[in-house]
Amino acid sequence: MKRFATRRSALFVLALGLIVYPLVVSRFWSVTIGAHALILGIIALSLIFLAGYGGMISLAQTAIAGMAAYAVAILTVPRLPQQILAIPDEPHWPAYLAVAAALLIATVMGALFGLIGVRSQGIYLLMLTAALGVGFFYFAEANYDFLGGHGGIPEVVSPIGYTSQNPAVFYYISLAAAVALYLGVRYLVRTPFGLALQGIRDNPRRMRALGYSVGLHRIAAFGIAGFIAGVGGVLTVWYNGSISPGTVDLTRVIELLVIAVVGGLIFPEGAFVGALAFVLVDTFASSVPAIGGFSFRERFNTLIGLTFLLVVLFSPNGLIGIAQDLTARLRRRRSAPPREPLTESLSRVGRDPASAHADPASEP
Amino acid sequence: MTFDPVQFVTVGLNGLTQAAIYFLVASGFTLIFGLMRTVNLAHGSLYLFGAYLGWSVGAALGKTAEAWVVAIVVAFVGMALVGFLMQRLLLGWMAGQDLRQALVTIGLSIIAADLLLMRFGGVIYQFTPPPFLFGSTSIPFAVSGQYSTYRLFLVAAAIVIGLLLWLLLTRTKLGMIIRAGIDDRHMLSALGVDVPRVFLLVFALGAGLAGLAGVLGGSALSISPGEDARYLLSSLVVVIVGGMGSLGGVAIGAVIVGVAEQYGNFYWPYYAPLVTFGIMAAVLALRPHGLRGRPA
Repeated sequence: MKRFATRRSALFVLALGLIVYPLVVSRFWSVTIGAHALILGIIALSLIFLAGYGGMISLAQTAIAGMAAYAVAILTVPRLPQQILAIPDEPHWPAYLAVAAALLIATVMGALFGLIGVRSQGIYLLMLTAALGVGFFYFAEANYDFLGGHGGIPEVVSPIGYTSQNPAVFYYISLAAAVALYLGVRYLVRTPFGLALQGIRDNPRRMRALGYSVGLHRIAAFGIAGFIAGVGGVLTVWYNGSISPGTVDLTRVIELLVIAVVGGLIFPEGAFVGALAFVLVDTFASSVPAIGGFSFRERFNTLIGLTFLLVVLFSPNGLIGIAQDLTARLRRRRSAPPREPLTESLSRVGRDPASAHADPASEP
Repeated sequence: MTFDPVQFVTVGLNGLTQAAIYFLVASGFTLIFGLMRTVNLAHGSLYLFGAYLGWSVGAALGKTAEAWVVAIVVAFVGMALVGFLMQRLLLGWMAGQDLRQALVTIGLSIIAADLLLMRFGGVIYQFTPPPFLFGSTSIPFAVSGQYSTYRLFLVAAAIVIGLLLWLLLTRTKLGMIIRAGIDDRHMLSALGVDVPRVFLLVFALGAGLAGLAGVLGGSALSISPGEDARYLLSSLVVVIVGGMGSLGGVAIGAVIVGVAEQYGNFYWPYYAPLVTFGIMAAVLALRPHGLRGRPA
């Protein structure tokens, strides 16, 4: 009972902090750090939803967010750049219609990617979605009919103007979206659909025998993840004020995976912890002084790569896993029953259920 | 645009050239994957690293024909060594955890791309192949009756290397062990074969092929940052289309992907990537394990 109360007051303090935050800090902290982390967290949430509850690691989430971003840009920008050849009159839709269309596109494309990958699992799915995700980058780069090719589409203004004009409002929009999606995921995984999805993650063969349509659940999960990534994409294009292939290239694809893995691939809140950590390192690595001629400002990607490698090698559950281990250790000292650390997660997510040796029931 | 049959032939030859490079890169990828179930997402980095290494050696030796051959050998041996170390130091002790291995190779590819950028910068490098490969050969029906000798050589080289790999896999003791390992690793180790050592050898061979392809492919086109992502993507698509772990599948996949890509680029430039991915989706819908793949 006491633990419950502590938890509730901690949540209250967190919520209050998140709400008051943009009112007391500068524009830099509310948008470049706060909103940026929330947006990256939303896209990472779509990956973590698929990985943690569906056992499907998709590297195509960046591409799907990018599709939503491109949709918003094409539909709302009042003056499309010259290099776009196929649209004589700009559509110039109102923002709410464009956002709805973008989210629909993201959901449908997510489901379509799920359909393409429905019979692939584990590492095969990772390869397939990587190919699809990076493929979208090359498509955006080559397409001058609609997507503006290498230069992309500049001057995308959100309904509240540029983020620099209304930093707090933009932060609140991002926060509202992030909270709604986070709670939505937490709710969804407790519904019959969410439970079936987790059953399929753990043993698709048994679920099929119980009469569940494994394929449809997987496709639906991809569609939902597409919607989540789409929200992130819409916010991304408003945050950047433009969209170009550089927003969906392999570096970004990997960055998203880094965020998800550093946050801990199986916890929805890990998405936001990982994103915040990433944004902070991204922003402040440049101010770390050079050590022996090795400048972190220039070698930022090496720093990220090394961090990622260390997390994968030593803490498969990411930062959240480390925090849980620590609290579990503290509790044990207070002679409370120890909580089981979730160290199995990565190998569980990665296990190819078709050839799983761990479960005798799945052997023919 | 009117259809020009002569143009069609030349674009097709470009497709075969591209297919030859794809085959060289993806054959290493599929060997490693077939035996160890390790998805080496740093394979594109090995291609680029090999190309840069070969270029540095070639430049140091003075851009002669001999230097070019030495560059190929150095790129192969150098990347084989890198692959050996990757397997020995990092991937070997997490055997069986395929996802974790893939993530480790992603981490390595980030670092490799950044360090190569630091060392070689964003400029484009070009090789100087030996003079007797430099000109053009007369080919009937091609544009102006000519086609680059080097590109024809590249196709021939890919075929020869493919045949050598095929001989290695089907006619030698090591090949027998590798094929047995692809079918059942556990049984192989139960028969007394030192499986970790075979893994090391195959990883070195696959990585070496990527390095070799770096010099051969870099001589036909050029080398610059970003090529690592391009060849990683093409390796993925080729093995998904052809079937993972199958050498014949890689050959078929490379030809389909390379030729389709070049025709797409030429006739439908704004939508060319869709051609490749349409083929990939269609193959997966009909044969989920690829054209020549078998269920794992």
